[in-house]
Amino acid sequence: MPVVELSYSRLQKLVGKVSKKQISDSLPFLGLDIESEDKDLVRVEYSPNRPDYSTDLGIALGLQGLFGIKTGAIKLNIKKSNDYVIHVESTVTKIRPFVTGIIAKNGRIDDNTIKQLMAMQEDLHFGIGRKRKKSSIGIHDLDKISFPLTYTTTKRDHKFVPLNSDNELTISEILDNTDVGRDYGAILGNYTQVPLILDSKKQTVSFPPIINAAVTTVTTNTKNLFVEVTGIAKDDVENMLSVVATILQTAGFTLVSTKISGAKNTSPKLEPRKILINSNLINQMLGLHLTNSQIISSLKKSRLDATLKGKNIICSIPSYRFDIFGPMDLVEEVTLGYGIQNLEPILSPSQTLGQINPISIKLKSLSLIMIGLGYTEVLNSSLTSKRVLYEMTNRESMNMISVLDSKSQEHTILRDSILPGLLENLSRNIHTSYPQKLFETGTIFSQGNPVDETTSFAGISAHQDATFTEIKSILQSMLKTGFDLEIETKTFSHPTFEEGRTASILFHGKIIGIIGEINSKTIENYKIRVPVVGFEISLSGLIFD
Amino acid sequence: MSQVFHEIEKKIITSLKDNPKQTPEKLEKSTNLSPDQIRRGIEWLKLKELAIVNESQTIHISLGKNGLESFHKGLPERRLLDLLKNESKKLQDLQRELGSIFGPAMGLARKNNWVDTSEDKIFLKNYPPEIPGEKSLKQIGENKISKSEIDIDDLSNISKRPDFIVEDIIKTKEISLTENAKSIEIIAGSSGAINVESKVPDVFVARTHPLKDTIDEIREIFVTLGFTEIIGSMTQPSFWNFDALFTPQDHPARELQDTFYLDGLSAKKIGTLEQIRKISESHKKNWRYYWDINEAKKMVLRTHTTCVTIKHLAENKSDESRVFSLGRVFRNEKVSYKHLVEFNQIEGVVVGKNATLRDLMGIQREFYRRIGITKIKFWPTFFPYTEPSLQTMVYNDRLEKWVELFGMGIFRPEVTKPLGITKPVLAWGGGIERIAMLKYGLDDVREFYNNNLSWLRSATKCQ
Repeated sequence: MPVVELSYSRLQKLVGKVSKKQISDSLPFLGLDIESEDKDLVRVEYSPNRPDYSTDLGIALGLQGLFGIKTGAIKLNIKKSNDYVIHVESTVTKIRPFVTGIIAKNGRIDDNTIKQLMAMQEDLHFGIGRKRKKSSIGIHDLDKISFPLTYTTTKRDHKFVPLNSDNELTISEILDNTDVGRDYGAILGNYTQVPLILDSKKQTVSFPPIINAAVTTVTTNTKNLFVEVTGIAKDDVENMLSVVATILQTAGFTLVSTKISGAKNTSPKLEPRKILINSNLINQMLGLHLTNSQIISSLKKSRLDATLKGKNIICSIPSYRFDIFGPMDLVEEVTLGYGIQNLEPILSPSQTLGQINPISIKLKSLSLIMIGLGYTEVLNSSLTSKRVLYEMTNRESMNMISVLDSKSQEHTILRDSILPGLLENLSRNIHTSYPQKLFETGTIFSQGNPVDETTSFAGISAHQDATFTEIKSILQSMLKTGFDLEIETKTFSHPTFEEGRTASILFHGKIIGIIGEINSKTIENYKIRVPVVGFEISLSGLIFD
Repeated sequence: MSQVFHEIEKKIITSLKDNPKQTPEKLEKSTNLSPDQIRRGIEWLKLKELAIVNESQTIHISLGKNGLESFHKGLPERRLLDLLKNESKKLQDLQRELGSIFGPAMGLARKNNWVDTSEDKIFLKNYPPEIPGEKSLKQIGENKISKSEIDIDDLSNISKRPDFIVEDIIKTKEISLTENAKSIEIIAGSSGAINVESKVPDVFVARTHPLKDTIDEIREIFVTLGFTEIIGSMTQPSFWNFDALFTPQDHPARELQDTFYLDGLSAKKIGTLEQIRKISESHKKNWRYYWDINEAKKMVLRTHTTCVTIKHLAENKSDESRVFSLGRVFRNEKVSYKHLVEFNQIEGVVVGKNATLRDLMGIQREFYRRIGITKIKFWPTFFPYTEPSLQTMVYNDRLEKWVELFGMGIFRPEVTKPLGITKPVLAWGGGIERIAMLKYGLDDVREFYNNNLSWLRSATKCQ
């Protein structure tokens, strides 16, 4: 989950008359988890479905609603203008078809605002932008650009001075030699042409989704902004723009529209949507008896607009709240506006009778019997390693099921046997007193349709006098007492077990497992210093399906 | 003071009353007990604080081979002087008579001015009545005696000579009674009583795994709350783990760096044609992207047990039901004290026409009450498949802070409708290790899977 760093004193200025404690108590009720606090600074985790919470400006809007300082939807006031035209050429269609933008004028930009805007941009790129693939933003100093602009494509030898550089670089150089180029260049694929925004003087404004031109860099001296968003879907670019527009308006800028024309593109509307909702649904879902006016006031506290129309409530949703799909999302907005702390939990009698799964019952019985026989239960990961499963036990590593890109070397392969894990447990306990008798039941995996999962059961006994007879007696008594099953053993060979002291376990003539003395090679691999005997049988098909 | 004593203890106490300080060897003789009986008896009496064992060590010395020879024949220099007592002799004759000891003997005799040489003969100058070292030699003789009884200065004249003196370190124990023991009256005759107050050795019980105990406890709580347990596969097509739960195919949670994909494995059949059609439509309509069935077929290790419950609901379409699922789930994370790649999760749902968010909160509160957690509160949160979504915060007294436990919510219509589920579904779930950590007071979640026998053997069963 993304994290945003806030300052209590700045939040207090933005929200209005509230104490630091009131703010810290309320943040969780916006769905923001406080991760750490250090005097005036607080770091909170926000949900990726609320990109407006990627800045303190957006969080302040939410807090104002909860405190009742300002309620209702934030209306975007966008001045209509024909001065800011972006013409889209059809060559972009194949690569990155959509562009949109907005002008933000007469704002004051201090260091904190720049910091918050940059953090927001990064979070938007990462989250709803899907690492800039779906959509990406460029924020520019408007006064360094001469309109109209052209959204076009260019060859990879096109040159300009990119952001944070003093020299002209070609597109290829940017992609090969800069961090952003290497991180995001793959989005552009192998096309010989790449997207580009040029102004009327043929000056490069931006090379989306990679980097802006240095000339439009935003500083604390910047008064007026131009924001462009490009991407692969029209809704995505407008959604992203609506978040930025809302935040900039909240930061004190005056918004002015852009005019976009050409191949598939149109000017952004950024208008609220309307969703109809009935108080019955809300009350039924929450288990409350809220009146229409309580519901409307709760929605307003969640910074939405709502009016009564007949028996229904018409809810008006600002464009930056594209996380709201339908009425159930509004149930949540009512819940938050009403306050979760005001919902009293109730315990209604159950209409159903509970039941433990028969498999769980049998596995529990098996555990109890093994404990009666003096065996301690252990738990190992089902996702383990080639070393434990095959190298240490000398088993063949055929048809392994591996996972892709595991972050841990110890967890790369699904186990096809439980016994290697138990031997690993012994090797980690060689300084603890003997005898050591362990067992485990659990799922093992094999390639099938596409994966077959069965339940397996293994036990081992390690001590100076461990013998085949001992372990066979244990298994035999366990199955007889627990499940009235009788097994046979037949001479067998297995790379983990000692030749001549190994048997297959048969039930009704079918092999269900293996039993015997662990061979000296395996024991040495595990650095165990006492004899070990063990078994493993499949429970699937034996005591349950 | 009334105390029950073993026959061995009685004999030892009685003997020590007569003769207050004895070595174990002396006690063997005085009590007629075997060395082993004496050893055990002394241990018992020590534990009861009735006997004191003073251990000391003394150095004993005896004569070695050359020492003994000198004891019998005289020191080499004495033998030289004796030969010269009556007449002076030639060097060659002395060498022949004394052999190898002639050299050292001659050296000492000359150094002490006992002999002198003139022309080719050696003659006596002085005949000392006692040569340094002779006193000690005589005193030791053929015995072994304590070093403390010897004149160390005199001994030093012979102790450096090869094979003259042998030193033995002898440890001795001396047993005596404590003041308490002295007042004990030993009553004759055997009672057959044993010492029931003494300490005994530990034995290790075989036991179920502590985490399994927590899992069993949670299972039983939900069963008594009217829930039926269902079990499902750990390997799942992405379809049930993600698509059916309204998680778009480009969602970050679906990336390799968060979810384990099985190398090269795809499901052949993932659901009914209708399920696939309706879910793909819901994705296309709401998330507006190209939905790829091949992506949905990719096999993953389930990231939550919700895939098991949603599949069950899709197959059973009950209007009134309470089910839960318990089992291992997987996340591609770096293993640390708070993260495992594989852990256990409980996940439950209530389906019912009158099911409400307050009921969901009520079930949570009751569950926590039954596992002994009473300080809880609810906060909003976000899951792609529930709306509204909440999380429970519980107060950890030991850490003195609120910690997050189960997440919960009402399944979104975008989840239920395509699968033909028409009644509200309350769902919740969370990690079991977190609860077990609270119960066992652990700060490192890896402890559960280390299978450290000393911990397994000592963790208290009933928490």
